[in-house]
Amino acid sequence: MLNLHWLLNFDWLRGISPAAAKGVFLAIFIVSGLLVMMIPRAYIYEGVQDPRWWHNLKLWALGVLAMIFTIYYVF
Amino acid sequence: MLSGIDYAVVIAYLVGIMILGLYFARFVRSADDFFLSGKSLPFWAVGMSIVATDISAMDFVGVSGQSYRFGMAVGNFDWLGSMPAMLLAAFIFIPYFWKAGLYTIPEYLGRRYNDHVRAVASLTWIIFFALDLGVLFWATAVMFEPLMGWKPWFSIIVTAVVVGVYTFFGGLTAVVMTDVVQMIIMFVGGATVLVVGLYHAGGWGDLVDKISAMGDAYQNHFKLVQPADTQTPFPWTGILFGLTFVMSNAYMIGNQAIVQRCLATKSVWHAKASMLTGAFFKMFIPVLVMFPGLIALGAFPGLEDGDQAFPTLVKSLLPPGLRGLLFAGFLAGLMSTIDSILNSTATLWTKDIYEKYIKKGASDRHYMIVGQLATVVLLIFGVLTSPLSKQFPGIYVAIQTFLSFFQGPVFSILLLGMFWPRATQWGGLVGLVGGIGTSVLLYLFKDHLFTIEEPFLYISWWSFVAGVLLNVATSLVTRRHPEERLSGLVCRLPRDLKGGCEAPAC
Repeated sequence: MLNLHWLLNFDWLRGISPAAAKGVFLAIFIVSGLLVMMIPRAYIYEGVQDPRWWHNLKLWALGVLAMIFTIYYVF
Repeated sequence: MLSGIDYAVVIAYLVGIMILGLYFARFVRSADDFFLSGKSLPFWAVGMSIVATDISAMDFVGVSGQSYRFGMAVGNFDWLGSMPAMLLAAFIFIPYFWKAGLYTIPEYLGRRYNDHVRAVASLTWIIFFALDLGVLFWATAVMFEPLMGWKPWFSIIVTAVVVGVYTFFGGLTAVVMTDVVQMIIMFVGGATVLVVGLYHAGGWGDLVDKISAMGDAYQNHFKLVQPADTQTPFPWTGILFGLTFVMSNAYMIGNQAIVQRCLATKSVWHAKASMLTGAFFKMFIPVLVMFPGLIALGAFPGLEDGDQAFPTLVKSLLPPGLRGLLFAGFLAGLMSTIDSILNSTATLWTKDIYEKYIKKGASDRHYMIVGQLATVVLLIFGVLTSPLSKQFPGIYVAIQTFLSFFQGPVFSILLLGMFWPRATQWGGLVGLVGGIGTSVLLYLFKDHLFTIEEPFLYISWWSFVAGVLLNVATSLVTRRHPEERLSGLVCRLPRDLKGGCEAPAC
């Protein structure tokens, strides 16, 4: 029962400080951004007849990621 | 209480939104038009509609109340609760569903696993949405009473008539286009409270100083990441495992009310862009619904009930005219959620249950009429069951808990279904039912198993894990599906007909 309690409540992660946990969240945003940048161009523009620069959804995704990264970096 | 000018603003909003919704009725001639807008919607409308659907009127009061009590950590639900799930949805799942020509998420589960899985998933969503309608009606009407001076039944009937008329005639197009206006009104109303509130607080810096000086209990009020042993419901472990990995993905990828409008976009590029547009606007939601709670804490510390924070702020700060604008924003929040629930539930009923089990092969117009009738029946059901909330005060929490029971298991079978060809039909069924059962057990014994007060984040994570393990174990001992049956349904397998995943991650 004690082991189950320890497992279910994530007591095994209690040694990690909030500052380190914040680093984990920021790392998730960075990794997400890297994955977005790896998406092939053809897949991004799929369904667009006459591609313009603003059709590049990578820029959209990176913009939103930059916003949330800043929020979590500050707070 | 409202003044004359406030009433004028609210009435103008109600009349305008009904006319706008009815305008789109001219474009509805088939089931495809009614449920998927004839695949004609632009990305910006769908993106804004996702946000309007997601935010209800109660979020203004509920989230403000939680930020009053627990601080900014509640903002995780809109920030981390959107990203990176919306990226995953935009670049992997939504294009996949769009290309497969789906109407509903359970439809995918039926093709990938079997009809039992489809029926369980669809019925679960229908029951949840139907019960949620009445609860939403009542909770919002009760919230309106002290603020607007409207009796609950009056609020319910007015909302039901306006929403019912344009949803019945205009289908998904009317729902999405009115959502666009409703989102703008919500943003303007929320921003009004924020700007006026911050002005009275002396600016953001003064507000932070004032709350930080209130004592040790408020030292974490401006931190998003809370320690793992915090007594608030938002430890970082729950936020990471329960919210980021499971609940947000389940919501953005598995929720019919969210995904259906993406399937109605005019091209696969618009489908992806709609989710990213929604992600952009979602970034502003905590600012509108959470910060008023912090402003109220600075201005009115010591309120016994955190949910009084927002109403207290509104009553004391907003002049006539602006109150009407805010109440129009409240109504917009309620109506945008109700109309989406109505249309999505009608779609689930018509496509997954009626067309599958009751009447196959009927005409397109027949299914459109069935969808319209389902909308009316649901609306009447929602109105008639709304007083249940008065008799059973815990029903709102109970229904939200019910939702958290199956979000993890549904996401587990969606994930394995799309990325693991070995997952079998029986693996999916056992994973879904067993995962839901695990949620129920964990909830029943939560006082013995968990240390935090409301462990719903932990429950969704562990039910997701149970769903994955049960699906894998059962799949490995049952007969695998032939590859040709899975083509177009699983990543890395070549597609035939309409299905197929071409995402780079596949």
